[in-house]
Amino acid sequence: MSTLGALLLLLLILITIVGGKTGLKSYLSIVLNFALIILVAVLIGIGTNILLVGVIFVPLKLLTIIYLGTHDNRVAKISFLIAMAISAGLFVLILILEYFAQAGGFGDQSGEELVGLSLNIGINYQDLGILVAVFSTLGAIAEAAVAMSAGMLELLVQKSDISLASLKRSGTKIGEDILGTALNTILFGMFGSFLPLFIWFIRLHYSIGRVVNDKLFVSAALIMVYSIVGVLLTIPAVIYAVGRKQKLANEERNN
Amino acid sequence: MWSKIKDIPFNKARIIAASIVAVVGIVLTLLAFFNVNGLPNEVATISGNTKPTVLLQKTTDEFEHNDEKYRQYLDIKVLTGTHAGKTFQVTNDYLASQLNTEDYKVGQRVLVSFDGAKPGLVSPKRDWVLVLALTIMCVILVMVVGKKSFLIMISMILNMVLFYFFVVFDVAENSTKVVPIYSLAVLVLSLLSLALVQGIHKKMWLTWFATIIGVFTSFLICWGVMQLTHESGIRYEAVDFATQNPKTLFLAQALIGVLGAVMDEATDIISSLSELIEHQPTISLKQLWQSGRTIGQEIMGPLINVLVLIFMAEALPMTILLIRDLNTINYTFEFALSIGILQSLISAIGIVLTVPIATGFSLLLRKGKVVESGVVK
Repeated sequence: MSTLGALLLLLLILITIVGGKTGLKSYLSIVLNFALIILVAVLIGIGTNILLVGVIFVPLKLLTIIYLGTHDNRVAKISFLIAMAISAGLFVLILILEYFAQAGGFGDQSGEELVGLSLNIGINYQDLGILVAVFSTLGAIAEAAVAMSAGMLELLVQKSDISLASLKRSGTKIGEDILGTALNTILFGMFGSFLPLFIWFIRLHYSIGRVVNDKLFVSAALIMVYSIVGVLLTIPAVIYAVGRKQKLANEERNN
Repeated sequence: MWSKIKDIPFNKARIIAASIVAVVGIVLTLLAFFNVNGLPNEVATISGNTKPTVLLQKTTDEFEHNDEKYRQYLDIKVLTGTHAGKTFQVTNDYLASQLNTEDYKVGQRVLVSFDGAKPGLVSPKRDWVLVLALTIMCVILVMVVGKKSFLIMISMILNMVLFYFFVVFDVAENSTKVVPIYSLAVLVLSLLSLALVQGIHKKMWLTWFATIIGVFTSFLICWGVMQLTHESGIRYEAVDFATQNPKTLFLAQALIGVLGAVMDEATDIISSLSELIEHQPTISLKQLWQSGRTIGQEIMGPLINVLVLIFMAEALPMTILLIRDLNTINYTFEFALSIGILQSLISAIGIVLTVPIATGFSLLLRKGKVVESGVVK
């Protein structure tokens, strides 16, 4: 059995034991996500318009992550709407910064890997860079939205008559705790992902001036910033949405 | 509309602080844009087009992919070095795909290198964009979390600095002790970030223990699986930019990559449960365990997908290039995607195992509460 197959099987077993039916759905979402990425690659590979692929696959990926990732439909609904809104806003920021950074495509470090490959393939790699950036942030946005709304709605379940002010205070507290470490998921995910590049810089004695102008470094650092901004914006958005929901519920109860 | 905006928790002090950060950041961005010191190359600015850009050729490769090759004729004004102040004419060839070539724009700052008296374009000057991006991030950070953003920034910077030293340490040891070095990094970095962000108290220690146990348990299990399956199907040569033994590099990537997520999850579970205990001190252990599992189940999937997307999106450019060039999915999958998928799976297993581990540690939190209130009465 191949290692990949064995790990897939092990994950299936563990996730079912720990998460039951929800776990199985999460597993499905992970496998679907792998499949969606491969599908994206194939579609762009055969020449589909990159913007079109983005417009179709961003909601699709968020749906997969959020709806299959949680068993609570209320959590999923709020999270999906907020994640869509935040992604749309973030897209504008990414568009502007990528225009100036020109950090799409391959860097000098990839020289060896590109040997023997034809590079005039007719796909705009700056546009692809934007799509890669957008995709990289989706997971972080969806996760923050789900963690926030799950935490806040769980609070509503345990204490349904909670006052609006108290709900917001708790929301801010949950948000701060989640943020402090949501940043860690992103930060360490990037550390892990780009460890070979960092080792390359240090081994070849890159100066700091060279690193901060390096295409791959800038592109990685920008992706980190986009993801963090996405998570940050998600927090007040969820507090606002859940707060509004509770306000409406309170008003209804009073009437 | 205004009353709605007021519902969002931004207060006046935060807006003032954020404005200050914005002004400082914009000044720093401008300084970075105009800065010419400490760079590996000479700096120039593109002052104009000598002639219009011409289409050199339309290319079609063996798979009928059409691309266009352009030549730009640019005037560049050199700003540094022995040629400072002089204007040169340079040409720049780029493919419409801009895969590893760039389409330069007038007014842009660029890095140039000289071959004798002849300048050549090296790359766009990108450092200022990074400063601008960080400025935007800091402004939003201050708006959303206020005072705490200072701690968060310090925690991130310290993590980066420490991580840098661990990589230097690894390179200095010539990558002979990769796994021990990055294991130590896991212990130190997680303790530091949790202590900084949460403060040192019982909840933080419980979160730290849960994190460490989660990371190392899953690492050992996955390592065991790799041994049992004789690592069949793993293409270590597909690890990007490997300047050392790619196998240990891959293991180190997996260790570091999952750490943040496990920390995130342990904090989410333990902090949500402690909120719950605060609002409802009489909650039973069974209820608490159930709530912990519910929260864990909710966040487990999305959290795994955070890493899946980070690990997989990064592989997209190479994947698409290989699909385009080689037209075979199998080879492309093996070389461009399998490493990312393996990394995602190892992380996923860590994240799943952390749910019961973190919930178990939260139970200790409640026990403490009951004893405390008993003393008060």
